[in-house]
Amino acid sequence: MDHCSFPGITSGSDVTDAGTKWIHCPSCESLCRDRLLSKHMELRCRRCGARVKVSRGTYSLQPAFAFSTAGLFAAILANINPIMTFDVVGDSQSGWIITGVEKLYEQGYWPLAALVLFASIMAPILYLAAVWYVSAACLLKLPLPISRKALPCIGILEPWNLVPVYAIATVVSVVKLKMLGDVHWELGARWVLGMALCSLLASQSFDYEIVREKLLALRKS
Amino acid sequence: MRISDTTRVDIARALVISGAILYIPSNILPVMTMSIVGNVEPLTVIGGVRELYDSGLPLIAGVVFLASIVVPFLKLICLGWILWMHGKPADMRRRTTLHRVVHTIGSWSMVDIFLLSVLGAVGQLGALASVEAKPGALFFASVVLCSLFAAEIYKPRLIWQTSPTPSV
Repeated sequence: MDHCSFPGITSGSDVTDAGTKWIHCPSCESLCRDRLLSKHMELRCRRCGARVKVSRGTYSLQPAFAFSTAGLFAAILANINPIMTFDVVGDSQSGWIITGVEKLYEQGYWPLAALVLFASIMAPILYLAAVWYVSAACLLKLPLPISRKALPCIGILEPWNLVPVYAIATVVSVVKLKMLGDVHWELGARWVLGMALCSLLASQSFDYEIVREKLLALRKS
Repeated sequence: MRISDTTRVDIARALVISGAILYIPSNILPVMTMSIVGNVEPLTVIGGVRELYDSGLPLIAGVVFLASIVVPFLKLICLGWILWMHGKPADMRRRTTLHRVVHTIGSWSMVDIFLLSVLGAVGQLGALASVEAKPGALFFASVVLCSLFAAEIYKPRLIWQTSPTPSV
């Protein structure tokens, strides 16, 4: 394991000084001397211990592109199919993701409705779309418009991509409803799970720093 | 818009204090009422956990207990400590690690809000079954948002502000 060599300096962006490249620690922002890393090595900040750089070998954006494409398809199908059907004494009702938002709004809890709408539908779709768009720009080597602006959006939207949490909540709600009546999983639930998996994998395979460098290189060329 | 570091610390402190105040009603007031065939049952966050545990589902009860009660409480305590220690040259590395943990686990507290949404989506069968949100849910969502925004606005670099530049 390697370490940053100048762990106290905190100003400016990436600096090149007499052939030495300096990179910022993403956590404490101290300057670290960039090193060439061999496979499975990582550069850690000596000051705060955060990971500054990791060797990805022959890093490709193809997995991020594939997972975000699959995630977007899953997102559409998760939203157009019902998640589950609840049955009490022969009377049944199916529920979609949007139905929960509607019911919260109808009951006068619009802030909760807005929060659920944003965290379970809008943010995950926007996040996957942004990953897909930026990955496509890098893979096709096309300086697509606003691809550099889309990159910070990915960082902002990532903590709000709460589909995996929504999937857990769906499982818990089925357990709760089973105590009261009959519950049947519907197709939408499988797509929610698929969307959760795809967004987790897309997030894992998307390296922010490498993509930023690729976009900068595209802009220069 | 660029926010100064002092303002960031002040906003984060205000959010953590607000979250701590709101945490009390969020656990006392019911977050939802479930009525099945005329039997209306108001449920608090801890009531929902107890119900799951009593139904012989300790694992699910444990997950909900951790996500809905322990995580928001620990987040507020950890952020409170980090902000209390702001500007002091002690435990900086530990504070940075703690901030990273708080940031990672932060969103899991949303389980209860999503649970309410899913139950509300299918639990609208008139007199047979109905699920309704209650004010406790608003307080609970406010606690989650306060801690999420506090962790977001107080950047880890602020922990190191008083750190002297070490020699190479």
